[in-house]
Amino acid sequence: MHLAVSLNIASAAGRASGLDFGRIAGFAREAEDAGLDMVVISDSAAGGQQASSPFEATTLLAALATVTERIGLVAGVSTLAHQPYNLARRFASLDIISHGRVGWNATMVQDPREAANFSRPEGISNDDFRRRAEEFIGIVQGLWKGWDADALLFDKSGGRFHDPEKMHLLDHKGEFFAVRGPLNVARSPQDTPVLVVSGLAEADLDFAARMADVILIEKQSLESAKAAYDDLKRRTLAAGRNPDAVKVLISVATGPELAADRLEAQFGSKGCDGFNLALPADVPALEDFVDRVVPELRRRGLPRPDYTGTTLRARLGLGGGNRP
Amino acid sequence: MTVRKRQMKLGLFLWATGHHIAAWRHPKAHVTAGIDIDHYIRLARTAEAAKLDMIFCEDAAGLREANVGIASQTSRSIGFEPISLLAALAVQTERIGLVSTASTSYNEPYGLARTFASLDQLSGGRAGWNLVTSANHIEAANFGSTGLRPHADRYERAREFAAVVAGLWRGAEALNHDGQSFSVKDALDLPRSPQGAPVMVQAGASEDGQNLAARTADVVFSAAQTFEEAKAFYDGLKGRLADYGREPDDVKIMPGVAPVVAETEAEAREKYEQLQELIPDDVGVALLSSYLSISDLWRYPIDGPLPELPPSEGMKSRQALVIEQSRRDNLSIRDLARHFAGARGHWRVVGTPAQIADELQARFEGGAADGFNVMPSWFPGELDAFATLVVPELRRRGLFRTDYEGRTLRDHLGLKRPA
Repeated sequence: MHLAVSLNIASAAGRASGLDFGRIAGFAREAEDAGLDMVVISDSAAGGQQASSPFEATTLLAALATVTERIGLVAGVSTLAHQPYNLARRFASLDIISHGRVGWNATMVQDPREAANFSRPEGISNDDFRRRAEEFIGIVQGLWKGWDADALLFDKSGGRFHDPEKMHLLDHKGEFFAVRGPLNVARSPQDTPVLVVSGLAEADLDFAARMADVILIEKQSLESAKAAYDDLKRRTLAAGRNPDAVKVLISVATGPELAADRLEAQFGSKGCDGFNLALPADVPALEDFVDRVVPELRRRGLPRPDYTGTTLRARLGLGGGNRP
Repeated sequence: MTVRKRQMKLGLFLWATGHHIAAWRHPKAHVTAGIDIDHYIRLARTAEAAKLDMIFCEDAAGLREANVGIASQTSRSIGFEPISLLAALAVQTERIGLVSTASTSYNEPYGLARTFASLDQLSGGRAGWNLVTSANHIEAANFGSTGLRPHADRYERAREFAAVVAGLWRGAEALNHDGQSFSVKDALDLPRSPQGAPVMVQAGASEDGQNLAARTADVVFSAAQTFEEAKAFYDGLKGRLADYGREPDDVKIMPGVAPVVAETEAEAREKYEQLQELIPDDVGVALLSSYLSISDLWRYPIDGPLPELPPSEGMKSRQALVIEQSRRDNLSIRDLARHFAGARGHWRVVGTPAQIADELQARFEGGAADGFNVMPSWFPGELDAFATLVVPELRRRGLFRTDYEGRTLRDHLGLKRPA
């Protein structure tokens, strides 16, 4: 069973939550010690209310990478707020800083407040947003593969730093973007950062099944979650991929009533590959997670880490490199 | 009460394996710098132990060199993206300033203001933004098919960008900006910076660049070979500040300096020559070709003289002087190529700690610099040499701090906290 814990650092309603770096780092280390697969930092550049922590997600992730060793680190970053080259580059760099433990959570839902802060006062239609996001994600994954894993030679005496044959242009020209490439960051230790997608509508399912490494879904009931899981795995197979190449995690809120029984039942019935435990970003929630939820998961022998390497891909049982 | 002597500011300019084009080939250079975060943490701690004001990362969102064969013989095609690099360093250091370059052409002000605000929070008020407008065609091709914007358009956009970012950093009210290039409705959703606002840095030397710097910059990086050039730039920029209602001390001007230092002058020269020998011939010739605007220089024997060249439109007077001098001194194409590849247009000082301190002191006290952006020729060796040999000499002369006076980058630089 794969377990992620997600923290929405942009969620508090206009008051300081006490989530300074030390607090968040301590939490990430607790989650690491408990054997969780990854921490997902959700963020939004939607403006307006003061966020619950003073950080932007990718910079926070870079800092967390230096104070943790094994846990995966995933940041949610908007396609509307970035250019694909810059975003691909930031995550490729984070992946090297973390020795191959990073993922990007790309949401397919537009934040209604965001366009107004990113020079689109007229907004962007949901349909355009979707087509743009799909093109964007394709570019990012393409840029992540611009350098072969053995491209760097470091041959001082021969004067050959890299092999130019092993560096590849992207030369993308599409509806929304033109990007020549390559990225000026080396190949990731896990080949490419893990692509997590969330916020899926019906129209996104085939795209997600074709592109994603991890899909986060939110379903109310055990039955509807199972149906969505089976549907995504069918679509993955139909896209020519091994169904195991995509991990489907169900997002659940961890209130006082965290139903560990339900999690075990859901997993046991092959209705998911694991769970994403969503926490409110405040100190009591983090303390509750560490003091109550983690021991409960441990008591049940969950999660069951079964990995052969230290990259996030290896942890999740995904294909790809493991050269930390 | 004693009045403390004015002291110079010192930045560490990080660049790949070092500033010398052949740095990565030095036997002791850390050749895997571009994929080794621990290497950067060590460099940052060395700079912090020496009480330097800041670390500076320049940046381009693309390859540095269009010719893939030439690029593959330098170490500059891969490296860390600087904001993620500095965010990692922010929690691995305590006092040193952290300045990254970011482009006004390929970002949006809300996102950039937010990212630097976060870096400022992670570091406890030690962040700075070096504004560039990006004049490079290789970068432009990564952000659309329309190519590079004209110079004046880039600066118009940069002016608006800088004003929006400053507004976001300083204000809690909704911005409601609706301008030529950008519209931004809300206030920033992050708290006010521990230093009031991140430090604004610029390096553009053009007329537009200097005016933008005079309007918005706290620190200006410059490139000047001679004392006279440095002094002229310094006086020119300081002279513009009054037009924008600012005091001369509101902007710190820090020219780049590439020191090669050793206990004896002979040893320092030998160190420099050792690096020069490592410049691959075709890399040197390619750089010289582009400097002289001669596309087919590689056709001529490298040990022979420069060919006779027809006067060209692109040729500037300084290049003509170079050609003249190469004839007078009977220099081969290889000699000249190494000379240019090694210097890269920056001020190089080769000598003993006392000689280097003399040179820095002369420019600092002669009114040509408020400090220097130090460009070690290779890492980590030349940074270690600067920290252990030159910095103590500057301290002996009372020209550099013995410890940090404050916590934030504005504290280090003696900059006002913005209202």
